[in-house]
Amino acid sequence: MKKYTPFLTILSLLLFSSSSLQAESPAIDFLRSTGKIYSVIAVIVVIILGIAFFLYRIDNKLTKLENKINNEQ
Amino acid sequence: MKSNWWKILGILILIYTVIVGMSVPLKPGIERADSISMGSNGNNASSISSGENHVIKVIGYNTNYKDNTNKAWLRLDTIGAVAATKFETISETEANVHFTIPTIFPARDTFQLLSMVIYNKEDGPSILPDAFSIRTNQRSNSNLTEWTVDPITNITDKPGMQFPYRSVLNETIRNTFFHIPLWFSMFILLLISIIYSGKYLKNNNIKDDIIASSLVNVAVLFGILGIITGSIWARFTWGTFWTTDVKLNMSTVAMLIYVASLILRSSINDVDRRAKLSASYNIFAFAALIPLVFVIPRLTDSLHPGNGGNPALGGEDMENTLRMVFYPAIIGFTLLGLWMTSILIRYESLKDRWLSRK
Repeated sequence: MKKYTPFLTILSLLLFSSSSLQAESPAIDFLRSTGKIYSVIAVIVVIILGIAFFLYRIDNKLTKLENKINNEQ
Repeated sequence: MKSNWWKILGILILIYTVIVGMSVPLKPGIERADSISMGSNGNNASSISSGENHVIKVIGYNTNYKDNTNKAWLRLDTIGAVAATKFETISETEANVHFTIPTIFPARDTFQLLSMVIYNKEDGPSILPDAFSIRTNQRSNSNLTEWTVDPITNITDKPGMQFPYRSVLNETIRNTFFHIPLWFSMFILLLISIIYSGKYLKNNNIKDDIIASSLVNVAVLFGILGIITGSIWARFTWGTFWTTDVKLNMSTVAMLIYVASLILRSSINDVDRRAKLSASYNIFAFAALIPLVFVIPRLTDSLHPGNGGNPALGGEDMENTLRMVFYPAIIGFTLLGLWMTSILIRYESLKDRWLSRK
């Protein structure tokens, strides 16, 4: 769980920091401005973060396997 | 390089999706229309009465009201429309429109809904459906003169490609190219994975099990991203991150079933038992996914298009301009998902080879 902390922090900052506040909070107001276009940007950012999370995970797994193979030889 | 063409194609399609999906403008639309003159019956902002003068304050989106060809109508469904007596432009997106509502009301019911139509040469037509409710006591089905004096004619669309304007959705209509294709490609990946699960149960070839489980892995990631992006979309259109909408809860249950399958898989060390269990679990999980995501939301009320009596891709929610980006986006996300899967498969089979060599 510890290694996912940065991702979870970013995600929770993106989502839940604003949910506890009222609708008039500056963050929500900003996302709502110009016809709510920034909420679309937020959606794209979440997708990119999700793919980055996948890459990070497989990177770690591969490093572990590489170390195992190298140590045996 | 030759065998990698589909990966490049997937990325190119996703670049197309983002560029076209974000840069094509929305059609000019009416964001709000409120009656600011109170009639004799103490009308509120969205109800007007017959036989009176009304001033309606209009707030447009992407509009050019300073173009001097503005015309406005209040349209009574299929029967006719009454044209504005005066169009006062305040700014490009604000105007006060004056109407004289006819006394005689050409309909059987005392209560009707009027749609607001605004047209100018620069913007083309923009419509706010059911903008006002109207009540009257004088009705006549034969005397339509007042409603047909100045009909809605000579209207030409704004040239060029635009996405439709919807009053609550606004720019978030662009999420159609990101949120929905994630679910579609998740479904395609899961569909391929049950084929490989079936293949494993038939041939007991461990390679098929690796392919199936890798597909489930990526599909679950897409599903979770689908839930998060949908939640953000809901915050700005429905008002909260999470509603009691059946489709939300049922797709979460479906996701939990698949997450459980991945946890179950990682808890078994024996390779053949693990493969056999996860293959049969995968087929049952898919059998549960179909009623949870496709059947139950259609049986009850749902805010999602295509459920609870709402039209899906057919009705007014989808337009050809949206389809030009939406369908490629599904292919793009699916190809990206397959690329991610292929990396996972290569890792898993390398690990399997190393473990079995020991």
